[in-house]
Amino acid sequence: MTLAIPHQQRMPLAIAALGFLFLGLFLLYPLFNVFSASVLDAEGEKFTFANYVKVLGRPFYRAAVTNTLAIGVAATITTTLISVPFAFALARLPVPGKAAILALAAMPLVLPSFVSAYAIVLLLGRAGIVTQWLNSWGIGFGSIYGAGGIVLVYTLTLYPYVLLPTMAGFKAVDVSVEEAAQSLGSSPRRTLWTVTLPIVIPSILAGGLLVFIETLENFGVPFVLAEDLPIFAVEAFKLFIGETAPNPSSAGVLGVLLILTTAAVLLVQRRYLSARRFATGARAAPPTLQVGPGVRVAAAVYCWTIVLLALVPFFAIVVLSFMEFRGPVLHPNFSLENFAILFDRSTRPLLNTLLFATLAAIGVTLVGVPIAYVVTRMRSTMASVLDVIATLPFAVAGTVLAIGFVVSFNSGWLILTGGPLIMVLAYTVRKVPFAVRSSSAILHQIDPSLEEASISLGRSPLQTFGRILVPLMLGGILSGFVLTWVTVASELSATVVLYSGPWRTLTVVMFQALESGGGGVATAAASTLIVVTLLPIALLYRLVQRYELS
Amino acid sequence: MTGIVIEGVTRSFGTVRAVDGVDLTVGDGEFFTLLGPSGCGKTTLLRMIAGFCELDGGEIRFGQKRIDRLPAHTRDIGMVFQNYAVFPNLTVAGNVAYGLKARRVAAADLARRVDEALALVQLAGYGERWPHQLSGGQLQRVAIARALVIRPQVLLFDEPLSNLDARLRVSMRAEIRELQKSLGITAIYVTHDQEEAMSVSDRIALMQNGKLEQVGAPAEIYRNPASRFAAEFMGTTNLVEARALGRDGADLVSLRPEALRLDAEAPPGWPRIGGSVVHVEILGPITRFDVRLVDGSLLKVAALDEPHRTLAPGAAVMLAYDPARVTVLP
Ligand SMILES: Nc1ncnc2c1ncn2[C@@H]1O[C@H](COP(=O)(O)OP(=O)(O)O)[C@@H](O)[C@H]1O
Ligand SMILES: [Mg+2]
Repeated sequence: MTLAIPHQQRMPLAIAALGFLFLGLFLLYPLFNVFSASVLDAEGEKFTFANYVKVLGRPFYRAAVTNTLAIGVAATITTTLISVPFAFALARLPVPGKAAILALAAMPLVLPSFVSAYAIVLLLGRAGIVTQWLNSWGIGFGSIYGAGGIVLVYTLTLYPYVLLPTMAGFKAVDVSVEEAAQSLGSSPRRTLWTVTLPIVIPSILAGGLLVFIETLENFGVPFVLAEDLPIFAVEAFKLFIGETAPNPSSAGVLGVLLILTTAAVLLVQRRYLSARRFATGARAAPPTLQVGPGVRVAAAVYCWTIVLLALVPFFAIVVLSFMEFRGPVLHPNFSLENFAILFDRSTRPLLNTLLFATLAAIGVTLVGVPIAYVVTRMRSTMASVLDVIATLPFAVAGTVLAIGFVVSFNSGWLILTGGPLIMVLAYTVRKVPFAVRSSSAILHQIDPSLEEASISLGRSPLQTFGRILVPLMLGGILSGFVLTWVTVASELSATVVLYSGPWRTLTVVMFQALESGGGGVATAAASTLIVVTLLPIALLYRLVQRYELS
Repeated sequence: MTGIVIEGVTRSFGTVRAVDGVDLTVGDGEFFTLLGPSGCGKTTLLRMIAGFCELDGGEIRFGQKRIDRLPAHTRDIGMVFQNYAVFPNLTVAGNVAYGLKARRVAAADLARRVDEALALVQLAGYGERWPHQLSGGQLQRVAIARALVIRPQVLLFDEPLSNLDARLRVSMRAEIRELQKSLGITAIYVTHDQEEAMSVSDRIALMQNGKLEQVGAPAEIYRNPASRFAAEFMGTTNLVEARALGRDGADLVSLRPEALRLDAEAPPGWPRIGGSVVHVEILGPITRFDVRLVDGSLLKVAALDEPHRTLAPGAAVMLAYDPARVTVLP
């Protein structure tokens, strides 16, 4: 007997089944284990809330919760405050070098934020170059360790999350809406406050929310800068390392709390944003405003200052990596010693980084693109459930997912700990939401009748996918591939939990050098990471340009 | 070449019965049109034949062969879509060759057949162009060539002309009809445009709310509409009670505007009714005017232009109508 599945649905159903299988095994199962670790007693048998009482009973961990949230809120506010005027200037004012500003402004999104944090320490820390120079003039300033420094680094590295959607928002305002307001007697300034800004607010909030979630999940920046200040992701990591693997109850508690917080924020956002869709159906993009020379200069200075300031730390790291370190202490002499030490020890970390990034990017493409297909083309409850599950990794900090991986795959029928595969799988799961999002965005642009035309001409659904959809999606798939590659290469939070023996990556080398005070190796690893990140992006940029020119 | 048999075909979406128990037989080589207002289920029925939409019940056969359970890509159908659906990543020749390659046609044969098909739709020499270099009309020709070149058993058209401008629509529909007749492929054509349907079809199935309202040759449905809906959808008509025309009974009757004439211009045997002119439009070849009868009902009249006729609102007129063209509606 054959199953009575209508032929139109066989391929989507098969893809969905594989998607559920993959995400079930490598996302839901590990998360479930984190959850059950948090609600089981020491023997792992009886259900209990004792772990929550124990962890939350300690002021230290309660402080971790409030610190993380406070820093997140502060960083969201600062990024929004600097990005909204920035976005407005880029969208509506005559600023010289807009294309360059945009390209540079997107860079912090792919550069590793903990490298920026480390650069801040080298520049402004206790023994920092700038600090010492200022001290020699008798000028002192507050400590950059703790909340202040963390918020500063988040602001510099996360502001593009608000800038880019807000700028798109300003550009999407239909000029006729503003003209209508002014023809009703509203001054340009009042029009901006009462008409334009309210239309853009959903974009601003969407960006701000991304910033907030990033801060909740970030491990590297607080690891470098927090010192004694307890922070969620760092404490979960420390607890996990200190606990015995089979039942990491306390780390589990922090992990569950972290997931619940992010999920709650996401839900609130969905509720809010779905109620406020100000689609103005922009036909004519709003014109560049006529302003006096004063405003023009101010806008240019403002935009360029932010863009460059955010990139100074990365630039500084590259420069510093060519200087002489004795232990953590820096000497201003040119030297290739740091790189010699880094690569003398082993080139394995670099090769591992390249290998894992490539494998994960392939994995993400193979998993994400088909799931995006099902999610956009099938209108059913099952497709929506798959969509939600495929978005879930977005709400799961790398640290927490990695803890789940260790608990799930260090014994039993599938043992992955100690090998490279566990890292590649964790990266793949973490980046799947981005691939699904970007692929569905393209698929929404592709008319389904193209597929039907191909099928009616005699190509099976699978052949149609390969011959029509993949070529049409190629540009998007390629940029998704490069972005995954780049972000995996600088992944830290899951990596530090999962790496083992010979499978260290560049980020691990840097992490370990930081712990042991090896400034030279850390800067060399960081510069290498920057090059590894920017090279593919530059290549992609060239490729896209050439492709569009032809 | 094949006839198509559709038996008891039904499909619901939630509570909407998109197609509701449709029985149809389309003859071999026939140009058959599904006509009806937007949302009446034409596309759904067409997509069930193509294999893109499941049946809740009923069956579809090409000749003797039941096809409604076959995967769409094995049904041997040429389909032309409303939005052309020309593959943007392939050249014109690549698009036309697409279905031939799926059928593993040998390379030499393939090039010849592609050229023939392009010549057939008057696009000879356009093979190396890219779709984005073509106009809407040319894109639709590519889509038609692509569907014809595989010599399908059945051709399906879903509102293929609705994205083209009015002038092009008229010339393209004649071309489509001519191609279909010269190749002798059975065709099912979907449109909501009554005039387009009448101009191309051998037979029309008029649909409403997922059901067949009336099936027949265009002139037959126009002249003998089986229902009020059919009478109104097929063209402007006067729906009045028989009594208003001086006939017996309270039945609703349909009387086309062109079946009415002014007293002086009508044959002597036609019944007469008096009224007064309310509104006049001289449209060039045709003059339309509305006449209010003594009982208050309004009659629309259409007459060929007559240079010496004078009509002004308010004037009393005597009308005559052709009794053979009065259709009594149920
Ligand atoms: N995939 C679908 N999901 C839900 N409802 C549908 C779907 N396709 C068609 N319908 C509904 O079925 C009815 C018939 O649609 P359709 O066949 O497209 O009409 P037509 O082509 O005559 O305009 C409409 O009410 C439409 O809303
Ligand atoms: Mg339709």
